[in-house]
Amino acid sequence: MTVDQIIRWFQSLSGSGEQAWMFLAAVVITGLPLFLVLATNAIVAVYVERKVSAFMQDRIGPMGQGAGFHAGKWGLLQTVADALKLLLKEDVIPSAADRKLFVLAPYIIFLAPFLAIAAIPFNQVLQVSDLNIGVFYVLAMGSFGVIGLILAGWASDNKWSLYGAMRSAAQIVSYEIPAGLSIIAVVMLVGSLNLQQIIEFQTGTRWGFLPNWVVFHNPFSFLAFFIYFISSVAEVNRTPFDIPEAESELVAGFHTEYSGMRWALFFLSEYANMLIVTAVAVIVFLGGWTSPIPGLFATAGWGLFWFLFKIGILILVMMWFRWTFPRLRVDQLMHVCWKVFIPLAMLNIFGVGVWALGVG
Amino acid sequence: MKRWLVNIWESVSTLLIGMGITWRHLRRIRKGNVTLQYPEETWPRPERLIGFDHQHYNVIRSRLHVDIDDCIGCLKCERACPVSCIKIETVKAPKEVDLGLTSHDTKKRLLVKRFDIDMSECMYCNLCTYPCPEECIYMTGGPNSHKHPIDYEFSEYDRNNLIYRFAALSDEEVEQRLRVPAPPVTNEASHD
Repeated sequence: MTVDQIIRWFQSLSGSGEQAWMFLAAVVITGLPLFLVLATNAIVAVYVERKVSAFMQDRIGPMGQGAGFHAGKWGLLQTVADALKLLLKEDVIPSAADRKLFVLAPYIIFLAPFLAIAAIPFNQVLQVSDLNIGVFYVLAMGSFGVIGLILAGWASDNKWSLYGAMRSAAQIVSYEIPAGLSIIAVVMLVGSLNLQQIIEFQTGTRWGFLPNWVVFHNPFSFLAFFIYFISSVAEVNRTPFDIPEAESELVAGFHTEYSGMRWALFFLSEYANMLIVTAVAVIVFLGGWTSPIPGLFATAGWGLFWFLFKIGILILVMMWFRWTFPRLRVDQLMHVCWKVFIPLAMLNIFGVGVWALGVG
Repeated sequence: MKRWLVNIWESVSTLLIGMGITWRHLRRIRKGNVTLQYPEETWPRPERLIGFDHQHYNVIRSRLHVDIDDCIGCLKCERACPVSCIKIETVKAPKEVDLGLTSHDTKKRLLVKRFDIDMSECMYCNLCTYPCPEECIYMTGGPNSHKHPIDYEFSEYDRNNLIYRFAALSDEEVEQRLRVPAPPVTNEASHD
């Protein structure tokens, strides 16, 4: 169900051409579920992150035990309680802050993943907009959030915020390059930027037992997956690449001065960004909605399940990274990007090209 | 070039080792974790042994407790208290009234009307427990655990709740307890 299909359906109902209300209604009908997906993702991911971090550190995380309501069984309602708390908190804007930009920044940051998710195919039919430049659009929107980060850091009038914003700008812009280069390798293989076509390229089997995913296609695309995944961890500012918000150095980085619901928007967009980059990784390298057992469970419903399942696994791996690795220094971060990932990604493009010509 | 590849290999392999460690901890979380879910679970209670014969030294500093039925109202503990956190009021019982015996077979001659210990002021010096002739004021637990189990979780939301009122008799109750029982023979009634 894309926006175009809904608009066409409206037209067939009313018998007239495209009108403004049709467009608005179609956008609302498709936009609300996407917002719910992002919000649910944040609520679930925060809970899972707390539990995973606790388990990895030999703790047990939020538990709602004992008399009274507390936070539900196993602390399941902990995130809901947190969200309520954030809603009720005082909204503080520093007096020296640039008020308009300060208020605007969290919305821009959240807008980026929200725009990007519009092109993500959840299964064979569930996609808001089937763009023929889908990969390009998602990557572009994903890096659009950095404007919001710089706005937030600048408008806060705080040295830590500004440092955090500068660092995150440098980091995100740098890591866009290896991520983009490793996706270019796949685009060369598939011959299309359309996300659905990239997924359809990956249906079927390879050597009889493996799913025909790009990650298994050849050794270069296998490497490209890891380059893309690690670069995407850096793009969403998560540990070990969390220098923009390094707690021990910068208090909280670009969102130091934010509190209450505005701060919650930063958090929401962090998890939304995770969803977007893992969704791209799943679509481009892990076969999107295709089943890991080729031929079985291949209906549209199972497609949605497999897509979300793969995203969940990758988000879990990101959390695993976060609670295992220490933070990189700024120069180490740049070293990894410019001296390791970009040469390897270049090599990948060359290798994939040779492979596509020679092996097929 | 070789150095570069070796660097990449070393960082990848060591990162995988680190991830293996955290994964093992995640998998073993049911077998052992460090969290104590406090109100439901508590630390094992310290039953402390000191070097010398602890049966005679009441050293567990947990919380004062008074077996008020054994108290004879001698006020020795009140006088011993360095911070004056014990307040006792007694009423002398008439000769005819029998208040009973303590567990040490001492006849009780005073009715303890009020016995308050302000635990917010108590400094756990234990000095009140030594002079007690009836051994009815003591710290809970340790050598006294047969009388009262150890209890060190007595935080309160209201500071007034830390004043332990072991005896709080109203005037009516005192009057009732000290009422001279009617003589067995009704001879005296005709006297007046």
